[in-house]
Amino acid sequence: MWLPVLGLIIGIALGLLSNFSIPDEYSNYLSIAVLAALDTLFGGIRAHLQNIYDEKVFVSGFFFNIALAASLAFLGVHLGVDLYLAAVFAFGVRLFQNIAVIRRILITKWSSK
Amino acid sequence: MKLKVKGKHVILSLVSLVLGFIMAFSYHLTDKNDTDMTMTNSQWERDIELRNQLIEQEEKNRELQQELIEKQEKVLEIEELLAQEEQVFFNLAEDAEKYRMFLGKVRVKGEGVTVTLADGQYNPNDDNINNYLVHEHHVFNVVNELYVSGATAVAINGQRLTHNSYIVCNGPVIEVDGNPHPAPFVITAIGEPEVLSSALNITGGVKDRLVSENVEFKLEVNQEIILEPILGS
Repeated sequence: MWLPVLGLIIGIALGLLSNFSIPDEYSNYLSIAVLAALDTLFGGIRAHLQNIYDEKVFVSGFFFNIALAASLAFLGVHLGVDLYLAAVFAFGVRLFQNIAVIRRILITKWSSK
Repeated sequence: MKLKVKGKHVILSLVSLVLGFIMAFSYHLTDKNDTDMTMTNSQWERDIELRNQLIEQEEKNRELQQELIEKQEKVLEIEELLAQEEQVFFNLAEDAEKYRMFLGKVRVKGEGVTVTLADGQYNPNDDNINNYLVHEHHVFNVVNELYVSGATAVAINGQRLTHNSYIVCNGPVIEVDGNPHPAPFVITAIGEPEVLSSALNITGGVKDRLVSENVEFKLEVNQEIILEPILGS
């Protein structure tokens, strides 16, 4: 269990220490990517708790969602349509749903103990 | 089984690494933007400072411009003064040239008249030969008449007369400033030809008197007369 935690710490450290900056117009894509990553993470946790966790689905979903969200935002900027709002909306809704499911599962687990 | 668990952990750690990196980077970026915002506060102050400096500079510029205009006006005044002085000098030079002409120091040129006085035809019946010769008072009369009617330069037989010239009768010749001149006498005068000729031709004037005294009087109007300067003056 310590290995993922170590990875997380290393990632945070890298992100904080990295000094290169990206142009302002690309920061949108990054925030979308963060949202996608969080969504996938909570989705994974929920699936794990529901015992339908599949590693391949989780890992592929994680990276694919990030890439898709970023490219969607990119496409939206170039088409003049605020597509990243759609991504934010979709991921936001799913994030809350996932968290709600996780909470309910945890509560039922706790009360059944 | 253990290997599989380990592999799963490796993948999970990779995922968490990416997640951590993205989140931290995003946070870092937003943080930086925030610091940028605070930077603009100090930049604002600097902006105001620079703007004040600019205003100061512009005011100074305007003052200097005003000064420049004043200075230019002064320069203009001085230039006008210089021009006036130049005009004065020019006039002085012109006057000097004119006076030099009057004094006979330089060669003069202009339109004028030529009067030739020659001895009259001798009449053997008359007892006095003097009645037929040109005397110095004849020359005097003509010269004075010319001067009175506005001649600016007069010469006798090519010799310029000045303000202190003298003409004396010296037997068969007359002397002008010591130089003897025989008859006939050619008196050249520079001036308005019409004025001069009409002054000489006036009825009862110089011409009539000279003719009545048996002097041959010939008057010519010349478009251009050149008088040489006086030698040794």
